[in-house]
Amino acid sequence: MNMKIALFIPCLVNQMMPDVAIATLSLLEKLGHQVIFPQGQTCCGQPMTNSGCFNEARNTTLKLLNAFKGVECDAIVCPAASCLVAAKENFHEFDQSQEALDVINKLYELTEFLHDIAPISGFKNKFEHTISLQMSCHGLRMLSLATPSESMGPQFNKVEAVLQSIPGIKIVYPAPRDECCGFGGTFAVDEGAVSAKMGKDKAHAHAATHAQYVVGFDPSCLLHLDGMIRRQLLPIQTRHIAQIIDAAL
Amino acid sequence: MYQSKSHADNATIFCRDENRVDWHSKALWNLREKRDRAAASVPEWEQLRQLGSEIKLHTLSHLGDYLCQFEQKCIENGIQVHWATDASEHNQIALDILSTHSVKKLVKSKSMLTEECHLNPFLEKHGIEVIDTDLGERIIQLNHQPPSHIVVPAIHMKKEEVGELFHQKLNTPKGESDPTRLTRAARKHLRDQFLSADAAMTGVNMAIADLGAVVVCTNEGNADMGVNLPKLQIHSMGIDKIVPDVDSAMVLLRMLARNAIGQPITTYSSFYRGSKVNGEMHIIIVDNGRTDIMQDKILAESLKCIRCGGCLNTCPVYRRSGGFSYNYTIPGPIGIAVGAQHDDSNTIPWACTLCGSCSYVCPTKVPLDKIIAHHRRLKAQQGKLPFGKKYYMPAVGKLMSSPTLLNCAMASARLALNVIPHRLIKPLSGAWGQYRELPVSPTSSFDTWYKQHRASNKGQNNVS
Repeated sequence: MNMKIALFIPCLVNQMMPDVAIATLSLLEKLGHQVIFPQGQTCCGQPMTNSGCFNEARNTTLKLLNAFKGVECDAIVCPAASCLVAAKENFHEFDQSQEALDVINKLYELTEFLHDIAPISGFKNKFEHTISLQMSCHGLRMLSLATPSESMGPQFNKVEAVLQSIPGIKIVYPAPRDECCGFGGTFAVDEGAVSAKMGKDKAHAHAATHAQYVVGFDPSCLLHLDGMIRRQLLPIQTRHIAQIIDAAL
Repeated sequence: MYQSKSHADNATIFCRDENRVDWHSKALWNLREKRDRAAASVPEWEQLRQLGSEIKLHTLSHLGDYLCQFEQKCIENGIQVHWATDASEHNQIALDILSTHSVKKLVKSKSMLTEECHLNPFLEKHGIEVIDTDLGERIIQLNHQPPSHIVVPAIHMKKEEVGELFHQKLNTPKGESDPTRLTRAARKHLRDQFLSADAAMTGVNMAIADLGAVVVCTNEGNADMGVNLPKLQIHSMGIDKIVPDVDSAMVLLRMLARNAIGQPITTYSSFYRGSKVNGEMHIIIVDNGRTDIMQDKILAESLKCIRCGGCLNTCPVYRRSGGFSYNYTIPGPIGIAVGAQHDDSNTIPWACTLCGSCSYVCPTKVPLDKIIAHHRRLKAQQGKLPFGKKYYMPAVGKLMSSPTLLNCAMASARLALNVIPHRLIKPLSGAWGQYRELPVSPTSSFDTWYKQHRASNKGQNNVS
């Protein structure tokens, strides 16, 4: 089922991790989808709203929303779970119109799109590595990409389901499995000591699995972990899920 | 005027001793793991949580009716009921009751409410000796500290430190740190206190409206030992402790100890519905800001809390910053939820990554992360933002909403990261570069890449 997809590339990915955006574009095209990149995208407003500053978030949020209003597409796909959650919430906070709702209803995080909307299959290339999955909080607990470890409800894991048919891949988890990595947006600088300790513990937990890569669906957590891993001189590297999938298609 | 330190400053001090942080974090994570196993052993766990949430929401939305019913039933059971608007009224009522009976020594069993009201120093000032009788509470009382956790109040102390404290206060042998021997020493010491006390006071886990009874849960039996010896017993409860009936109480009881420490039920779950022969039973029902919290629809859900402490055990920030970093009697996620308005440093709502683990652990589905985020918004509206956010957030808002400005700024940042040695930039990057390596910077943005590779030759660039 081929779809017309609009890319939502959050500012952090656009500015600091363009490879993640390129991999997302590439993998969606390889899957046969038509991909467009609406211009005029800004920040979703998360740094401001998560700090309680809603007035300061309004303009940037509405600009981002405007970039998608009226765009002809079947889905809007974003390779960053946390930004996607914030965009959904903030669009609704600042604009309750039907037009805004039409945009909100088309918003998908990349993993959930590849699992729920246009299920992925047909991996051609082997990826013979062990990856340690970084189950970032907002994707896990707000987008329900998997059952969080706290929950005793039905067990599912969309991230694993999407990745597991890649030939040769081995998926492992750090211990504890889904504790926060400590990034938390401005938390990383406001609460530097605790954020760093959480990041250090998480980086060591990933390295202790002896995986080659830490793989996640949230670029901001990966950026933080990358900085921790290199500071701790650990033999593991961060990759975004899009980069792994793109290489295997 | 003295202003409390920010949570971040308190946490930075706590984090200096990394071995201690690791030990503290692991001790609490063990409780979380025990909780997971206990919860998994109950097939209907998630239904229980839903039921628990609905019972509490129902009760809170009919709070006045249930409180009146409770009072009526208590009076029928011969219990004397007192109403306190705030902490000082509560303390005065307690003092009046104790004074009437010429009480010199009071044995107390765990009550976060009396901690919240700072009852002990008030009674001591009026010449009444107060002995906390839970082992953990007694340890911190001897150490002149407040609790650092709502269920395991002395979790911040290592057994060797308890041994040294007991050596000084209870005359145990120097260097003794065997938990069993220390517990025996405490038991002997507490037995003397129980036998010589004139009155007993406890907190309340649940108050059952249609029964006129209060439920007190302990593992040590100290509440029962206290209440059953002297003639006078007093129970203090917040208005949020009420439940309609025994069936509702049982739903919550099935989750309370499991979620707290992974135990199916507390060793003692005692129902008190009347005084002893020739005795007196008093219940003090306290508001102390709870009806104010109920005025805000989001904050109101914090009153569903049954004080199991599960959210503290799972919180990655609490485990790494300790119970004394929150500037409030109750630390951790629930402490932020119910204590943020008392925090004059205006920082505790930001002592959280909004990871949401607490909300999933909570047995009554208190949406803790939503409440904490809401507190940030309230602080912003009151102009009480910490960490200079009041000054830099408007600038960030402007920068982020202008693609041109943002592109220029980030292009300069990427250029700087690429050409200037990172050791020169690090000091300017604040906490980021202090603890992490700076990002490996790409040469251009995705925007630029897209324009070069796609937009011009494929004509897929649509609306602008």
